[in-house]
Amino acid sequence: MNAPAQSTAGGASALLEVRDLRKYFPVRGGILNRAVGWVQAVDDIDLDVLPGEVLGIVGESGCGKSTTARLLMHLIRADAGRIVFDGNAVRADDAAGLRELRRQMQMVFQDSYSSLNPRLPIEDTIMFGPKVHGVSSAEARERARELFALVGLDPAQFIRRYPHELSGGQRQRVNIARALALEPRLLILDEAVSALDKSVEAQVLNLLLTLRRELGLTYIFISHDLNVVQYMSDRVLVMYLGKVVEIGPTAEIYQRMQHPYTEALLSAMPSMDPDRRTETPPLVGDPPNPIDPPPGCRFHTRCRFAEDVCRRAEPRLGPAAGEETADGPAAGADHLVACHMRVAASGHSLAPAG
Amino acid sequence: MTTARTLDSKQQAIVDAAQVAVQSRGYWATVAGRIRDDKVTIVCGLVVLLIVFSAVFADLIALADPYKASMLKRLAEIGAPGYPLGADEMGRDMMTRLLYGGRLSLFMGISPIVIALAIGGTLGLVAGFLGGRVNMLIMRLMDVFYAFPSVLLAVAISGALGAGIGNAIVSLTLVFIPPITRVTESVTTQVRSLDYVEAARASGAGSLTIIRVHVLSNVLGPVFIYATSLISVSIILASGLSFLGLGTEPPEPEWGLMLNTLRQSIYVNPWVAALPGVMIFFTSLSFNLLSDGLRGAMDVRL
Amino acid sequence: MLEYIIRRVLYVIPIGLGVTVLVFALVHMSPGDPLSAVVPPDAPEEMVQDLRKAYGFDKPLPIQYVTWLGRVVTGDLGVSVARGREVVDELRIAVPNTFILAAGGTLLGFTLGAIFGGIAGYFQGRWIDKLATAIAITGVSVPHYWLGLVLVIIFSVEMNVLPSIGMGPGGSTAWAWDAEHMRHLVLPVVTLAVIPMGLITRTVRATVAEILNQEFVQALHAKGLFQRQVLMHVVRNAAPTTLAVMGLQLGYLLGGSILVETVFQWPGTGSLLNSAIFERDLPLLQGTILVLAMFFVLLNLLVDILQSAIDPRMSRQ
Repeated sequence: MNAPAQSTAGGASALLEVRDLRKYFPVRGGILNRAVGWVQAVDDIDLDVLPGEVLGIVGESGCGKSTTARLLMHLIRADAGRIVFDGNAVRADDAAGLRELRRQMQMVFQDSYSSLNPRLPIEDTIMFGPKVHGVSSAEARERARELFALVGLDPAQFIRRYPHELSGGQRQRVNIARALALEPRLLILDEAVSALDKSVEAQVLNLLLTLRRELGLTYIFISHDLNVVQYMSDRVLVMYLGKVVEIGPTAEIYQRMQHPYTEALLSAMPSMDPDRRTETPPLVGDPPNPIDPPPGCRFHTRCRFAEDVCRRAEPRLGPAAGEETADGPAAGADHLVACHMRVAASGHSLAPAG
Repeated sequence: MTTARTLDSKQQAIVDAAQVAVQSRGYWATVAGRIRDDKVTIVCGLVVLLIVFSAVFADLIALADPYKASMLKRLAEIGAPGYPLGADEMGRDMMTRLLYGGRLSLFMGISPIVIALAIGGTLGLVAGFLGGRVNMLIMRLMDVFYAFPSVLLAVAISGALGAGIGNAIVSLTLVFIPPITRVTESVTTQVRSLDYVEAARASGAGSLTIIRVHVLSNVLGPVFIYATSLISVSIILASGLSFLGLGTEPPEPEWGLMLNTLRQSIYVNPWVAALPGVMIFFTSLSFNLLSDGLRGAMDVRL
Repeated sequence: MLEYIIRRVLYVIPIGLGVTVLVFALVHMSPGDPLSAVVPPDAPEEMVQDLRKAYGFDKPLPIQYVTWLGRVVTGDLGVSVARGREVVDELRIAVPNTFILAAGGTLLGFTLGAIFGGIAGYFQGRWIDKLATAIAITGVSVPHYWLGLVLVIIFSVEMNVLPSIGMGPGGSTAWAWDAEHMRHLVLPVVTLAVIPMGLITRTVRATVAEILNQEFVQALHAKGLFQRQVLMHVVRNAAPTTLAVMGLQLGYLLGGSILVETVFQWPGTGSLLNSAIFERDLPLLQGTILVLAMFFVLLNLLVDILQSAIDPRMSRQ
């Protein structure tokens, strides 16, 4: 991979800076149970998260979104790469550094039920994190009450309840409160609203936006729901088979997408507007097996523009070249894409001339 | 992972139930409700309590001295005056000895399970929580113990160590550590992969804290119920060791040993000779039905 | 599936080695000098030292283990201290006797268990189911050494119709297919059969009940297929699980017959173990345990392979 000379956020100083992050999972088999293959769940991705922004991450299931989230939280150990939070690079074996990092960065999981210990009253669950970090019981309890109010649950009514005595939306509010209990600066929301009913989902999304404003939080918002991501995010990152294929401001991505995969993904998105019906066919087939990803551009097996060069060389993430594209004016400098069609003189017939 | 380490049906039921337990709402309340409705289980629970109670308070209930022999009353019939359940080969009152015998039999049957629960539970927790090489090391070691049928293992260890209560308890403990380790490991592995454990790690907690607060409370219930299902086997085996002359030594009253010494007298007074076995049988049956009831109540699909 | 079988077979090697280590350790765990059984207490120190050397007890334990393992692999289990005969020769007599008992017990227990379990599963929830379930739980709860004693009291002492001890007339130690030997077999086999009967009743009952509740069987009923065909389906689906339980039970009975053999004074491995323990005959103890454990390991292997061959669901692995 090339040296990340260039910030994916277009130069501003990032709260979280990720370079060359990689995680391969072994596939075991054979007589001796050796690794016979590797799932390239996350393959050399770079990303920056700016302070105060919401970075959406989208992609089909299995594209590596959740693995990325867990890597960022250091819940699983990366094979390679650098994760710099607020200027500090934390190594996986630095216990004190990890503890501090985890105070600043928290996560909300998709399954609101399995992410709460069924044996603990929800108050204890919320108090757990602060107590781990040395806050006294009394103070942690006080904080828990404040948090309950903050996420819209009446402390007097809910505080001693068990998870099974709450509805899905209430449980997810508890999970948000738990994540906020350590007063983090960055919150990773991994499909945090995907399992909720639509009406409840909207309430929780609005709660998240309010909290972000009031507490000055930064979010990484992971979802497969493109409408929700559009509603929530300042910038959007598109993943395909463990790679970043496109990243840019939300409006840019949704209106001037540069990558054929993004285009296909968005065209599959249900739209209320009859004028915005797409002529391009939506994606066909399943993503290729990530155990043995195709060489060159990983999308070429499903891409209608695929040419020889796509099968040979892997496109790099960079600003889109060319004055005009089919959909409008050229992309901005903070809009990066990994596609041969957008690189001048790449060898693709649709590439702009160098 | 090889399938050499599959669980038997009883263990699988526990593990399946544990899976439901950590995922469904109001699980334990449902279980308690089921037990309340299950008369057989409640009666068995009471019988177990009665057996334990009469063993513990044997000296208050019993009419005679369990060690006092009498040449004249040797092998007295059931119902002989002053000897409601007859007398043994040395003329000691059977009823008294049966009451006292429960002390050692229960102690030798239950204590291995308690110790094995502590050791096997810890091993299983560690193996399940840490996974990887530690898991492999511990579980493969257990596989070696699994290569012995339980009776053979108990007899082999007891036989090598020699007779005595302590040695019998050591050998039975070693018999029950592997199955308890397996079940604990399976349940722990399941719990470990749940999001709330990840969330606890994400809040910066160390492994010990996570195990104490989040894993233990979810693993303990199913493992405990599994362990109760082993008590019946343990009591039979413990008395069996004494029956072979490997456990308790005379003149201590213990059901298995009593059965052994009375065995010579079956042509004189067969039914008195069979009495200690009746006690072993009822005790083991009650424990079995009780643990079956608990397990059945746990097997709730919501 | 071939891959699974190869892996499963290879796994026997570390387990087998572990078993030998455990059996070796067992003897060295036992209190007292391993020589004490051979050497008279008043033997001169020089003679004790010579014997120690001759048996190799002067070497460090790992070397003793390797030497012992080397001999075991070539089929040399040493000489019984108390009997002065090769351990292998003793086992050659005892193992078949135990096998007869264990096989008889498994077969009878399996037959009864399959019948009771089948009936119970088929008539789920009715009184006949409850009866069969009660028999099953009694089977697993009864101390079988006591049951043996009770059977002796009933059939030998009170009714005097069956022999109470031994394997045949005049202390026979070699099995023969004659009426006398068969008569001696009845009580121990019935006693031993009780345990697998209980377990197999449970297994079969659960499996049959589960299968009958499955949609495809209910569909067969709905299609108006004959009872017999439904039954065939049930049998084919219940077979793998039942077979696995049965195989393991045979192993348990092989290794666990010591109590029953003691009650009936049956000249098998259990009696061998019993005398080895009380005569502190360590080579005999070691050899017998090792052979029984190895049988059990191989039986487990066989069951796993057979099960994977019969059950299509297993072959995915």
